[in-house]
Amino acid sequence: MALCIPLPSCRFRHRPVRSSLERQELFGRIAPVYDNLNDLLSLGQHRIWKRMTVSWTGAKMGDCALDLCCGSGDLAFLLSEKVGSNGKVIGLDFSKEQLSIASCRQGLAPNACYNNIEWVEGDALELPFLMVTLMPLQWVMGYEMWLIKKEPCRRCSRVSVLDFNKSTQPFTNLIQEWMIDNLVVPVATGYGLAKEYEYLKSSIKEFLTGKELERLALQVGFSNARHYEISGASWGTW
Amino acid sequence: MVRASLMLLKDAGRGVCKSLSQILVCPLSKQPLRYSEETNSLISDAIGVSFPIKDDIPCLVPMDGKIIEADDMPKTDGAADLSSKNNQ
Repeated sequence: MALCIPLPSCRFRHRPVRSSLERQELFGRIAPVYDNLNDLLSLGQHRIWKRMTVSWTGAKMGDCALDLCCGSGDLAFLLSEKVGSNGKVIGLDFSKEQLSIASCRQGLAPNACYNNIEWVEGDALELPFLMVTLMPLQWVMGYEMWLIKKEPCRRCSRVSVLDFNKSTQPFTNLIQEWMIDNLVVPVATGYGLAKEYEYLKSSIKEFLTGKELERLALQVGFSNARHYEISGASWGTW
Repeated sequence: MVRASLMLLKDAGRGVCKSLSQILVCPLSKQPLRYSEETNSLISDAIGVSFPIKDDIPCLVPMDGKIIEADDMPKTDGAADLSSKNNQ
């Protein structure tokens, strides 16, 4: 499966999104409690989802992997274990606060293979890489990762994405919205981050559905694309 | 001990791991970057912008870039020759 990048000029509806600076500042604010909230809000399930996502990349010893929107590094660390000391993992995020946490975790971790991770502060929509130099590699994209609009890397092997899911079932979406309003936001309020998590509901509405994501991946050059709904269709990985 | 291992991976006096420095490019011009030991930053000579390195992490968000003043840009051989001729 090749890696896609440019978003085609628009068979899909144009959606207004928060500015890059707003998103950057938002993730910077939630950085100190991001990991704890992930644990709490998913009841620890996010660890399983992330292992699934990484396993589907097919990353193996000696490979090079790129984790876009790596946040505090959960996926990068899992990739690091897969590719081993002879491999390389690059974790990229545009939040310096998240990267700082990732870097600290790396320094404190006893696992020597984590030495193969390099952190880069960057914008996934303006990547500081020449794609051709990263082949072959696997990409893992974390939360809130939009399809990126850059030059295609048609020879990368696999992309795996984990994110909230926009279901085609109205009832499922209703349950998801209820959980955000009545569980996620109240818990986040306790950390003083109500506004930062309130945006989730409107953000998810702007997502593409699983089928739309599959079609888009094929359209931009992937040979195969598959979207899986997980955790009651509130999340998806593809 | 892990931190010491990380430092050993970097070139002596360099702020970025060598293998990483070989694949990074300017996020705007997509041209190669040059490491400046003096300022501990990555320089995009193509567009005259420098990107800082903080805590060993290259900051390559376009907004992080700072335009390099003309006087701070490295002189080419031609410019240096011209300068020395003018001083004679």
